[in-house]
Amino acid sequence: MVKEEKIKFVDGKGITRIETVPDQQKLDRHKNLEYYKDILYQCGKCGTCRTGYQEEGWFRVCPSGEFGKFEAYYLGGKNLISWGITSGRLDWTENLANIFYQCSVCLACIQQCQIPEIHNYAGEWLMAFREEAVKKGFGPMPEQKKYTDHISKEHNPYMEKHKDRTNWITSNIKQSPNAKLIYFVGCTTSYREKSVAIATAEILNSLQIDFRIFKDEQCCGSPVYMTGQTEKAKKIAETNVDFFKNEGIEKIITSCAGCYRTLKETYPKKFGLDHGIEILHLPEFIQEKLKNNEIKFNNNLNMKTTYHDPCHIGRHMGIYEPPREVLNSIPGIELIEMPRNKQNAWCCGSGGGVRSAFKDLSSFAANERIEEAKETTAEAIVSCCPFCLNQFKTNIKNDEIKTFDLSELINKAIKS
Amino acid sequence: MNNSSIVAELGKIVGDRYVSEEPEIQFLYHYDFITAEPEGKCDIAIMPETAEEVQEIVKIANKYKIPIVPWVSGINFGSIATPRKGGIVVDLRRMNRVLEVNEDDMYALIEGGTTWADFKGYLDKHHPNFRAGVTFSPPGTGVIPSCLCYGMFDLGMLGGTGAEFLNGLEVILPTGELIRAGSCSLTDYWYGRQPLPDISGLFIGWEGTTGIVTKAAIKIWPKLPYRTDFLPFAARVEDGVPMLLKLSKAGLGIVDLLMTNMGWAQSLQCFDQKSVAIDPVSLGLPDFIGLITTEAYTEEQHKAQCDAIKKICREYGIEPLTADVQVRNFPKSMRGVLGHIFPITGGQMPIQFWGCWNFTRGGGGEWIGCYNSTRNIIKYYDLSREICLKHGKSPQYYCRIMFGGHYCVTRTNVNFNKNDPEDIKKTRQILKEIHDAVQKLEGTIMYKPPKWVVQHHKDKTLPETRNLIERIKKFLDPNNIMNPGQGIGDD
Repeated sequence: MVKEEKIKFVDGKGITRIETVPDQQKLDRHKNLEYYKDILYQCGKCGTCRTGYQEEGWFRVCPSGEFGKFEAYYLGGKNLISWGITSGRLDWTENLANIFYQCSVCLACIQQCQIPEIHNYAGEWLMAFREEAVKKGFGPMPEQKKYTDHISKEHNPYMEKHKDRTNWITSNIKQSPNAKLIYFVGCTTSYREKSVAIATAEILNSLQIDFRIFKDEQCCGSPVYMTGQTEKAKKIAETNVDFFKNEGIEKIITSCAGCYRTLKETYPKKFGLDHGIEILHLPEFIQEKLKNNEIKFNNNLNMKTTYHDPCHIGRHMGIYEPPREVLNSIPGIELIEMPRNKQNAWCCGSGGGVRSAFKDLSSFAANERIEEAKETTAEAIVSCCPFCLNQFKTNIKNDEIKTFDLSELINKAIKS
Repeated sequence: MNNSSIVAELGKIVGDRYVSEEPEIQFLYHYDFITAEPEGKCDIAIMPETAEEVQEIVKIANKYKIPIVPWVSGINFGSIATPRKGGIVVDLRRMNRVLEVNEDDMYALIEGGTTWADFKGYLDKHHPNFRAGVTFSPPGTGVIPSCLCYGMFDLGMLGGTGAEFLNGLEVILPTGELIRAGSCSLTDYWYGRQPLPDISGLFIGWEGTTGIVTKAAIKIWPKLPYRTDFLPFAARVEDGVPMLLKLSKAGLGIVDLLMTNMGWAQSLQCFDQKSVAIDPVSLGLPDFIGLITTEAYTEEQHKAQCDAIKKICREYGIEPLTADVQVRNFPKSMRGVLGHIFPITGGQMPIQFWGCWNFTRGGGGEWIGCYNSTRNIIKYYDLSREICLKHGKSPQYYCRIMFGGHYCVTRTNVNFNKNDPEDIKKTRQILKEIHDAVQKLEGTIMYKPPKWVVQHHKDKTLPETRNLIERIKKFLDPNNIMNPGQGIGDD
């Protein structure tokens, strides 16, 4: 027995302990709103979803709610509005859809909720609601529709020409035409963050990996799927999977968090496209190489950094450690965590179609994260998602802090 | 009433994005979303950022004689923030700043919409040696509303109800004037309500019907370095209550002193309805679960306090095991959120388990919760237990000894499935029966009362007292716009 008189006052951590809750219902994922209707009313709008409860402090976690302010923009409000819709208490309106689209689906909210079915499945009905909005003709938002139309013509959401997709490839990048491994570059990297593509390709060359890049690579479908346009996204996915199969691809490495999640999770689990291809996010691949002592770093980068968890590999896929391990292994890199990290990381505000349709919300989220990063005294925000990187670059003012993709730092450290 | 023109006028005060008459926004203010009380109706929702903006909103409400309801989270066991007569809901959550912490006089000055999460988060970060007494309510609920409605804290033995933690108030009257109550009315210090006429009483216990509180000073307390939470079990409630009452008169650094029955503990374990034992006593389970929290400044002092507590418990044949030991005795998969309560098991309040514990996963819960004489603790339990069992509901009982043992709180929670109209109907019947039964015990007064209980209060209050209350309400709120349909002053 503990000698209680020796126990000093210890501040509690208030950490999520959902695993201690009995009688948890096991539900299917990726279902429609109707499927989840008997769970939604469990929410009491208690507000737990708004705040992270960690030893380092208690902090707000929801960009949508902190920007929109009204309860409807927090998870609790969305749960109960969904209940209102499925129980006939509320009607669909344009504004209703608008509220649900003002969310980057970062899922920081569900990490906090202690009701197991909401903790485990709220992300499903947030997506199901968008899917339903599209069916009812209230979604997607006009800007999202515009980029979707462009994807159908030019296979990217950036209003760029498909023929220009691989313009970033420089003559020094060596490819193996018959490789079974491809580097899936993604739209953002191809058109907006070419340095990430170059760095990734150069890393693969340095490691003497046989790989190739599809000249006809197309959008993975993530921006279409995340805005509730499931059928259109599925068609994109089918095209891509057919292409992979025809080319005999066995392994895909991508430097994009969104592409990774879509290829690895959405294609098989949502669309039923069991492609059987191994999908790796670049930090996972590098982590493996580090374990096998197959990477030699030649340069000391001498930099204080902080790491921003992209939602698409963090909360969506559970990848928190590989990027940190890689970052910590680079000579001269010091990693200082932001208070809101890993499961509780504050979203950069670019995902879920928010950056195209709700620019004010998107900038609000980015600026909050940039301020948090600056408070760590780090010189640079490092992430491993080109969309996060681009968001930071767009919102950082006067070079107040630098920002890099992890691939860029790895490449700098490797180069001899 | 042309809502759109009023919305346009209100938009000029707070900005268009912080005022809404859209049905999706209104929907979340129509309901309490917890209780079995009927829904209300919100016509316009608005989120001001300053006291001056609140003043302007109140003036517009007076101009059009439309109801106005102060609101922070809208959840409480009496649905007292549910708009009963339509009108404007003033959601204060943009006013959520901690404005000042005075460590010398140990108070924090906070804005009207500050939530427990905001408050605790701020104190932990900026004043880590101090803490607020906090409620069992979830972190998203409001600090000031809780205090104004006699909510109670985990320092209840030390400081009494939330109302007793209030040092002073800044209030926008129903006629739009800004007033201050307490030392802050004539100095920059908010150290207390003494020695002036205590006009805070015009706003405490009135359920938001006499004004909108835009600032309040709340007492904070030092975190003493030594703390132990004892969690003694006994077979029956009547076995443990005399022990609690003796402890309440023994000093011993006890800051919190309470008990629950096994029904309440089961809900902390977060069982779904299908797994809840309706009558744990019939299964031979212990029905008294006490909580004794003691704090001290030195190790020697703490040891002496703990030894004395254990001695008193053993006089009643009860072994006071500590909370961490008791929690560890539960298999991990059956602990639910028990561990969330105690710092020693990693928990801290306010606690993030609202949806689980109170509602056994049906989303609904309501209580008959009363301030009471300590003489009624066992009798209250027996009456409410019998009624719950008659209706096939597990009785969930909870009692907290308050303010050095000067009075107590007794309450019985009833869970229900808020998606099931029959269960809601049954719950309303149980609540009515419990209320009527416990009123036979002199000294039992419900707090945060729903509308149907308010009528009972009116009927029972001395006629002259009731007349005075109604005259005060009319004086303060001549147009009867402030949260009409709620509170004892409503006609």
